Amino acid sequence: MVDTLLSGQLLFAALVSGSLYALVALGLNLVYGTLRLLNIAHGDLVMIGAYVAFWLFTLWAVPPLVALVLAAVLCAGLGWAVYAGLFRRMLAKPALAKRVEANSLILFYGISVILQNAAALAFTASPRAYRWLDTVITWGGVSMTLNRLLTLGVAAGICFGVLAFLRFHLFGWGLRAVIQRKDAAQVVGVNIERVQLITICAGFAVAGMAGVLVSMTEQITPFMGFPFTIVAFVVIIVGGLGNIGAGVLAGFALGLVETYGIALTSAGYRSILIYGIFVGVLMLRPEGLFTKAVRT
Amino acid sequence: MSALWPLAGIALALLGVAAPFGGNAYATGIAFQVAMWIALAQSWSMLSATTGYISLGHAVFYGIGGYVAVLMVDAAPFPAVMLVAALAPAVFAAVVGLPVLRVRGPYFVILTYGLAELVRHVVMRIESALGSFGRMIFSAPSPDALLWWMVGLAVAATLGAWAVRHSRFGAGLAAIREDEIAAETLGVPTARLKLLALIASATIPGAVGALAMMRTGYFEPGQAFDPVVSFTIVTMALVGGTDSVRGPILGAIGFALLSEALWSNFPQLYMIVLGAALIGFVLFVPQGLSGVLDRKGGRA
Repeated sequence: MVDTLLSGQLLFAALVSGSLYALVALGLNLVYGTLRLLNIAHGDLVMIGAYVAFWLFTLWAVPPLVALVLAAVLCAGLGWAVYAGLFRRMLAKPALAKRVEANSLILFYGISVILQNAAALAFTASPRAYRWLDTVITWGGVSMTLNRLLTLGVAAGICFGVLAFLRFHLFGWGLRAVIQRKDAAQVVGVNIERVQLITICAGFAVAGMAGVLVSMTEQITPFMGFPFTIVAFVVIIVGGLGNIGAGVLAGFALGLVETYGIALTSAGYRSILIYGIFVGVLMLRPEGLFTKAVRT
Repeated sequence: MSALWPLAGIALALLGVAAPFGGNAYATGIAFQVAMWIALAQSWSMLSATTGYISLGHAVFYGIGGYVAVLMVDAAPFPAVMLVAALAPAVFAAVVGLPVLRVRGPYFVILTYGLAELVRHVVMRIESALGSFGRMIFSAPSPDALLWWMVGLAVAATLGAWAVRHSRFGAGLAAIREDEIAAETLGVPTARLKLLALIASATIPGAVGALAMMRTGYFEPGQAFDPVVSFTIVTMALVGGTDSVRGPILGAIGFALLSEALWSNFPQLYMIVLGAALIGFVLFVPQGLSGVLDRKGGRA
């Protein structure tokens, strides 16, 4: 038992899922931070990215690294459609904006149900998978498949790339300003509308890319997305809503907790563990972090 | 007088469907579904329409009621089973209520969802640890008896929702919905009122869950705690309109009939229609069907 816990194998598994959680949560956090919309359909974008990769690979042998770009473009397009079609008009009118913010979760739940069932209608509910780069390499006593290594590298790369962009690029500064204080950002000349549109596209695109990475190692179903939504909520609530950097760290932390928690019990406890953390965190810290974020 | 309208509506709808076909299994089935969703949507509205704390987790009460009923039904008289099935989720609500109701706004919504999923997975785990993969029910009452139990619950839930809205208690809940902090400042015991509303809202769904399990004759935890139940309740109530007692009735009748037409052959299509209706009504018809009717009828 102790040997298993101390093995590099388990640490590697924890880092891979941690990097995916960090990536999925990153997109959710960006959208929440700038638009104050809680996107409960976020995990379904992961599902869409996974199907994009699956079909491109199965039908035309397109490597998932190319699908990464296409899934990002498709999901960014969806983000644009949701923003332009549903939320721009609503957010622009204060009377409606109040109601829509309160109801945004219900709206996104409706979108989530539509996406899941449309996918089930189009692709059937049967699980799908494909094999790509599943060669095992051993490095320093740790055996890993190439696709998992690639997942870790790409996911961590995107996370830290986005963090660097937020830190060093002028647009990133504007985005952080909108997260911190929207009115003040507008006063100093940040184009709020443009920041919000680009952020929702980027947040959706990141989720789509995470889906491509997930598809390389896990089964794809129309209903695979919701657990990712829950995981992303856990991560950003622990890390702090709108706090992008802490969210990435929290993603890796959750990957560690989950992987070691399952190693100590059994895989059957995974859902209980994740939902338990989720409920516990929300119940124990309802004030502070949350109310501050809700009332802005 | 407005209390009579919804009651007459329920009675007419159910008698209209069931009575002419006395003994017709299909009609009994539809009437059962309509009464079931009315009971669930009205119960939901006791908490969520009055206080604005939108629960996306009422499946947990439905599931708990169904679970305890299935465990008891072969050993206890049926009315006792129903009583325990109604009390069990009320006790659960009383236990988790205070910490859950401290969470506000969108966080409350996802918390209720997460809590329901947590209980679902725990029950699934317990059942598989007991070596049970679904339980058959052998001593369920006849479909007709179940229908009249369910109609009774629909009427009780409607009366309850009406009574809550037209009481001092309901006025306190409305104050919480409009501005919780102001209400508290003015001396409204917000925490206690919210907890009582949650308990009231949890009770009937437990009994409904028990009847639903008896009706299918089968219990499987993944299905009994299905989040689709929560989602359907919210959609029915919001589409029907949350400002009056007849809103949930209109929504429940409409979607129960639509589900009859679509569910068995096109389940995904039915869910897509539900999702689209939810988005459309929240964005463009927030007053719901009953609000539209009121406006047409010249009542404001």
